[in-house]
Amino acid sequence: MMSWGQLGFQDAGSYFMEEFIYFHDFTMMIILGVLSYVVVFLILGLISGWVDSGFVEGQLIEFMWTIFPALILIQIAFPSLLLLYLIEDFSKSFLVCKVIGHQWYWSYEIKTESSELLASVDCYMLPREDAFGMRLLLTDEFLMLPINVPVRILVTSDDVIHSWTLPSLGIKGDAVPGRLNQLNLTLNRKAMFYGQCSEICGANHSFMPIMLMGVYSWEFFAWLDRL
Amino acid sequence: MASKMALSRSFRLWGRALVVQRRSMGTGPLGYFPSRLDIGKREVVGFGLTGEECYVEDVHSPFPAIRFKEDTAEIAMLREKEKGDWKKLTVPERKELYRASFAQTLTEMEAPTGEWKPILGVTLFLSSLGIWFYLWMRKFVYDDLPETMTNEELVKDQIRFMIEGRTNPVQGLASNYDYEKGQWKK
Repeated sequence: MMSWGQLGFQDAGSYFMEEFIYFHDFTMMIILGVLSYVVVFLILGLISGWVDSGFVEGQLIEFMWTIFPALILIQIAFPSLLLLYLIEDFSKSFLVCKVIGHQWYWSYEIKTESSELLASVDCYMLPREDAFGMRLLLTDEFLMLPINVPVRILVTSDDVIHSWTLPSLGIKGDAVPGRLNQLNLTLNRKAMFYGQCSEICGANHSFMPIMLMGVYSWEFFAWLDRL
Repeated sequence: MASKMALSRSFRLWGRALVVQRRSMGTGPLGYFPSRLDIGKREVVGFGLTGEECYVEDVHSPFPAIRFKEDTAEIAMLREKEKGDWKKLTVPERKELYRASFAQTLTEMEAPTGEWKPILGVTLFLSSLGIWFYLWMRKFVYDDLPETMTNEELVKDQIRFMIEGRTNPVQGLASNYDYEKGQWKK
């Protein structure tokens, strides 16, 4: 979850989010370079006394200021498209987790790839007085998934459109009734991850949080046994 | 009779403002476009900004197409003197000649106008209105901050939750906690 006054991303909880952060840092570097260049010339243009109003049709400079930004954009596009297709690569997954949005709670069904149901959990938000200060974030039950295990997440809804979001994992999937949206998740560390519904779904849209705990595989199986 | 005279006068004035003449430069589609202003007896001395015979003076085109003033007898005399050695012209005479041809010197053209003062003043005034509006919103509209942000005990509970939940262990909060010793890193 976010800390007070935090402006940047949360630390990555999945391998995809790590890549997103790297891509963000790479693009930000380019953006800052271009911004510095523009600001310097903007200030020089404002403080200099004379301008050449007859300067027209500079073919070489027009060529350069067309080609150079195009090259920058190509350089940004390569990792962007690589990531875009990487997150859509659904190869082997060991678990399937069906996420169902309701008004106003989330329910999870954990199954194997052969559709054997392992667990089913409904997660309602805890009221403020029971939430230990974690206002709007804690639920009575939470989803537990093993780390370093590819999980196929299928998001859907029982009534209206919701959106299942976990910013620290870099995933967001709209829960649309009558549709299964597929997400790919591989947790990379043991921690608690929080999220909130991200599509307006009624009066209690702000009060249906998501809690996900990443644990070792044996702890995950122990949790399944307890359920 | 009076109305006929008024009509005739207005026609003459209109004619002085927009005399239709064939342009000397060509007979194309703009050949009959009414373009020449009445410049009186002012001498045409060059092309100017666009070729129009009017007084346009700017830092980008400092040489207008026509002189600023009509030549009086005194100016005409100075013009004759100007055809000779310029060292024989006195400074007041040079100034007189300059003022006959130009409305402003370059220094006068570039002199600061002080326009920035009302611009800055109005900008700051409007910004202050925005700030007053924000203060009014804070006092009369917004609710108090929730207890989870103001109550120290609840904030401590949240920090404990965040440490136990390994929140941001790489660069954030949990990265400052020593889990082996069970205390904040020193």
